[in-house]
Amino acid sequence: MSLGLGGSKPAAPAPDVSAAPAPYSVDRFVGAWGVASYRLDKDRPRTEAAARAQCKLPYVIKRGPTDGVIMHVADDSTPHELGLKAGDDGKVYLGFAGPPGDTQDRVVNFVSDREFIARYVDPDTNTRYGTMVYVRCGKA
Amino acid sequence: MKAMWALLAAFCLVGAVARADEAAPKVITLDDGDQLGRVSAEQTEIDDGPYKRQVVFYRTNYSPGTIVISTKERFLYLVLGNHRALRYGIGVGRQGFQWSGMVTITRKTAWPDWTPPPEMIKRQPYLPRFMAGGPGNPLGARALYLGATVYRIHGTNAPETIGTAVSSGCFRLVNGDVVDLFDRTPIGTKVVIRQAPEL
Repeated sequence: MSLGLGGSKPAAPAPDVSAAPAPYSVDRFVGAWGVASYRLDKDRPRTEAAARAQCKLPYVIKRGPTDGVIMHVADDSTPHELGLKAGDDGKVYLGFAGPPGDTQDRVVNFVSDREFIARYVDPDTNTRYGTMVYVRCGKA
Repeated sequence: MKAMWALLAAFCLVGAVARADEAAPKVITLDDGDQLGRVSAEQTEIDDGPYKRQVVFYRTNYSPGTIVISTKERFLYLVLGNHRALRYGIGVGRQGFQWSGMVTITRKTAWPDWTPPPEMIKRQPYLPRFMAGGPGNPLGARALYLGATVYRIHGTNAPETIGTAVSSGCFRLVNGDVVDLFDRTPIGTKVVIRQAPEL
């Protein structure tokens, strides 16, 4: 159910409209970000600082054609359009169209104007990548 | 071009290393052959074969406690004395990224942080640009910093690369071995890096 961006392919479907809307817009994620990851909560502050320092090599998130954002999922170098999905558990997920909490989804743990934090739902993927911190590049 | 690389190598090694055989990258924060998408436990060891950690006969004039790295053999020796050494299998720098010299251990870190190089980010854009230490980290469970250089003896999340030449100049051991070496090796330990086996 990937939403590939192949040039001649038909437009990808929008993220699952049956999922409840997230409490904020995907626009919160659009921009250039320094990205870093951590596994232990004690490492979060220094990981945030490290992410900030990575703006020389930013991860750029653009708005997609169907109200999602263009991002990567784990272990896949092809960008996809992902959407926000509100789960019954009160959590907000970022992923392909489908039920919230899919194994390819990220769960968004924290969002502010300057930063968002997400981790992969899949336990193995989460173990490998850790919790991802995105710190917005540019002036505060 | 070769002269420029040589200059960069000299800059990176801060004069602590005798020579690089051909070239060295400006920054060696990880090895390009490494993969993030792997997990290797702290206990991972090699069970059999020449790269299994073992005590061997080893004739040397270096004092006990000295580390001798034989790049071509793909072995790291911890000198024990009485012509014996504890031998570990290692992965070494790929062609053009091998070096020799004599340094000391200047720092030790458990679960070191990892920073992928730009070319790796280009291939795998989904990678974090910095990863705090942990089991999925290509630098593995421990790191021993070599002098003032950018090189390290470290663990790995890819045990099958032991015995190969894939790194950017660092020396890698399976996590179980690097933990063992880490515990046996104080800061200040002399490390001798050789490119050719002794006859």
